[in-house]
Amino acid sequence: MSDPLIDRLKILIVATLKLEGVRPEEIPDDEPLIGSPRFGLDSIDALELVLALEKEFGVKIGSSEESRQALTSVATIAAFIRAHAPGA
Amino acid sequence: MSERPDQTRNPGPRWGFAFLRWADRNWPRWFFRLALRVGNAVAVVLLPEQRRQSRAYLTVALGRPARWMDVVRHFELFSEVLLLKMHVGHGRDVACTLAPEHAEAFEALVRSAQPALFGTFHVGASDLLGYRLADWGRQVSILRLRVGNSDDTRLLGERFVRHVSFLWINDPTKLLFDLKDAIERGASLALKCDRLEYAARTEAFQFLGARRLFPFTIYYLAVLFDRPVAFCVAVPGRDATRDPLCLHASLPFHPDPAAGRAANLAAARLHFQTVLTELEVLLRAEPRLWFNFLPLNPVAA
Repeated sequence: MSDPLIDRLKILIVATLKLEGVRPEEIPDDEPLIGSPRFGLDSIDALELVLALEKEFGVKIGSSEESRQALTSVATIAAFIRAHAPGA
Repeated sequence: MSERPDQTRNPGPRWGFAFLRWADRNWPRWFFRLALRVGNAVAVVLLPEQRRQSRAYLTVALGRPARWMDVVRHFELFSEVLLLKMHVGHGRDVACTLAPEHAEAFEALVRSAQPALFGTFHVGASDLLGYRLADWGRQVSILRLRVGNSDDTRLLGERFVRHVSFLWINDPTKLLFDLKDAIERGASLALKCDRLEYAARTEAFQFLGARRLFPFTIYYLAVLFDRPVAFCVAVPGRDATRDPLCLHASLPFHPDPAAGRAANLAAARLHFQTVLTELEVLLRAEPRLWFNFLPLNPVAA
């Protein structure tokens, strides 16, 4: 059964980063996003994604190690948001 | 992040700055100047990689094969500007005049309360621009790569500690968040946009006879955070250690939030090309101002 938050995140990632030829459901939950040859996301993409997540979920993603690890994959982003924006 | 980096790319040994400080304080001026010239000639001999890169760049900028004396004078101007930075770090104020072209628009931005992104290059005394912005009352975060012989940066940072902070870019994973934090707390950023290392995005622009790659990250930041971008370089006078600096500024680039990312980036490309064209005019007039003793920006494939 799909996770609504995960699904929402994948849609947000594709829309924010304008991933051409990638459908949201094609993004694996645990695949690394940044530095992945498949998605080709760099640090500017990461920054753009952070801003979109902050705007969408009202979370603050700062320079802590925890925040940096949150961006590892869709699953870790979802865990971060659940921990910091319980209403999501 | 490494606290004791091994990189020493400027034309001088790791201990060179400390020695310059000591000699500048203790030797008579005439003797110090003479020793500096001799030291420069020795540096040209002992630093083959920097010498090679200087010669390669000067050959492009001059439009003819660079001669030995061209390289020596390149090193000399670098050390003169290093001295100037040292004096400023020790409390001396340096006079600055703003070149008339674009001065009004640039000064209006600088004197406004609006946080901005200030770009510059490893050209002339441009290292001092971040501190000049502090003089104008701005809180500035300066992006720097920590290299083994960056004592000049440390000294200047100590003087301007109330207004200037550093974002050391040796740790790219942390840089992203540091940049965001600095921008979100309202600081202006000052960053150099000529070296490709750690550049998140690069693009090709016409510069010194070819389409060459340059960092383009500053414009992405501008568009993402809706911040204006302005470039400025500081050109030393005939006596680099004593004469006023002449600041050459660009027109500011203002992202249009209503225009969308693609349109803003297209406008940004035109802006940066203009900036580089104006920089090239300065460098053609005085090629020694380019203080990258590294391979010239590569030609785009």
